Amino acid sequence: MRVLVVEDERKLAQVLVSGLEAEHYDVVAAATGEDGFFRASSEVFDLLVLDIMLPGRSGLEILKALRHRRIDTPVLILTARDGIDDRVLGLDLGADDYLVKPFALPELLARIRALLRRGRPSEAFRLKAADLELDIVARRASRGERLLDLTAREFELLEYLLRHQGHLVSREMLAREVWKEPRRATPIDNVIDVQMARLRKKVDAETGPRLIHTVRGVGFVLREGEP
Amino acid sequence: MRRWARASIRFRLTAWYTAALALMLVVYAGATFIAVRHEFNERLEEEEQEHATGREAENPEARLRQQLGEILTVMVLGLPPIVVLAGAGGYLLARRALAPIDQVAADARRITADRLHQRLSVPNQHDEIGRLAAVINDTFARLESSFEQLRRFTADASHELRTPLAVIRGTGEVALRESRSPAEYRETIGSMLEEVDRLTSLVETLLRLSYGDAGTVRLSRERLDLGQLTREVAGSLAVLAEDRNQRLHLDAPDGIGVVADRLILREALRNIVDNAIKYSADGATIGVRAASDTGGATVTVVDQGPGIAPEHRERIFDRFYRIDEGRSRDEGGAGLGLAIAKWAVEANGGRITVDAGDRGGAIFRIVLPAGPPAARVDFEKESVDA
Repeated sequence: MRVLVVEDERKLAQVLVSGLEAEHYDVVAAATGEDGFFRASSEVFDLLVLDIMLPGRSGLEILKALRHRRIDTPVLILTARDGIDDRVLGLDLGADDYLVKPFALPELLARIRALLRRGRPSEAFRLKAADLELDIVARRASRGERLLDLTAREFELLEYLLRHQGHLVSREMLAREVWKEPRRATPIDNVIDVQMARLRKKVDAETGPRLIHTVRGVGFVLREGEP
Repeated sequence: MRRWARASIRFRLTAWYTAALALMLVVYAGATFIAVRHEFNERLEEEEQEHATGREAENPEARLRQQLGEILTVMVLGLPPIVVLAGAGGYLLARRALAPIDQVAADARRITADRLHQRLSVPNQHDEIGRLAAVINDTFARLESSFEQLRRFTADASHELRTPLAVIRGTGEVALRESRSPAEYRETIGSMLEEVDRLTSLVETLLRLSYGDAGTVRLSRERLDLGQLTREVAGSLAVLAEDRNQRLHLDAPDGIGVVADRLILREALRNIVDNAIKYSADGATIGVRAASDTGGATVTVVDQGPGIAPEHRERIFDRFYRIDEGRSRDEGGAGLGLAIAKWAVEANGGRITVDAGDRGGAIFRIVLPAGPPAARVDFEKESVDA
């Protein structure tokens, strides 16, 4: 999978490149709007990560020009402004998703996975990790022979973790996706932490290897073995 | 005399001018009268002389005309000095009455941002200028308190922003002093990231408040059920109460209609309920009640915390205001929760107040204008999903 990152802030570009490379993407970086547009229109990429505020040519202009040329590579825009106008404008111009800076890398990676997966059926009805099984339709969770008695929220939380199995999940992602809380200003981190502790007690307490791990300062990950 | 001083400038100006005009009219009339009398006397003397000498007047009509002409001349000549005098008097009066305005203007010019504690001198607090000066002084007082608030806010904000920065820096510097195991590095980086999280959410909150101040937040108001929203918030925070063996007593029936921005109002409710849980002791009971009455729709949150002393109640909603200065960041947060709640409630046209509870805790009360009963949105949702 080839990804083009158009970002002028050198350090941030570096972080994006190494973060994506660690996930085995083939990454190309462009530091200016002109370079980004040139590459995006002359080479083939599976995805574009586009900063909006670029010297020379703004991200929105690039996006507009690309869509005008009927290049419909999925585009994820990065913006420092969270005014609604920017977002709407970006999405209207044909962006597929957006993230507001400062964003968490796990979240960017999750968004990119979702964009690349788009169009392919991915909604599994049964999710598995080691001997943990989740039946989405019957809303049943079991660990080996043991049936887990989960509340609705715990079930959603576990489902989200399983869908991102092996990948880091930030509290912000959980707040937005599981608690449907789009604002970052009202942290519900304490709620998430308490809920997660309870879920972990039910899932990991008795048998088998530990599945839910906390990564300090980042979030959580569900995987077999150590994170 | 005292009544005179209390009179308005309008009245005083009119009275002064009337008196001056009356005086001048008397002078004018007097002068005219003297002139006429003088002519009459002359005429009488001439007639007597004629009578004595036996000579008949040659042309009595012409002489009468001449004398009338003389009177007219006196009157016409007297007019300009009187007009000039009246004008000068009026000018002097107006200048005297309006002089305080120049004084007020000069005073006001002296008061700058860093001298906001100064006030205008009020020459006479009962007349128009006195009232104007009082209003301006009032404005200065409010400006001063806004400036003071802003100054405090900036100081608090930079303190709150600097603390995590200092922690990040210190943690990094200490970690780099000697080489450590990968696990230790992970701990260090994790701890730094936690501070980054804190910093991010702080900046986010401040931005939201400043958008609120600037009035650039667009509300998407909808009809919603306050009872339902209250249950939703209490439900999502219930785990926190359970975790501390607290009882969350919830009384929020359906059918309390309000028109509000759901997300913003939810933020206010969450902050209040979260505080109630945070400040109540383990095992306490927290009451959350939604109701509607004639005054509007209300949500009341009763906690069993330490309560809020009367002197703090005014300022508890101020940004960064903490009752207990010594409270650590981990327990107390940055002190913006209630500021956000207040903003969120007021943006939705409501009010938020705090009172003392019967048994020591605090009672937070949110009052929103009553709206029509919430629309049934379930149908809409279904059609979207399908």
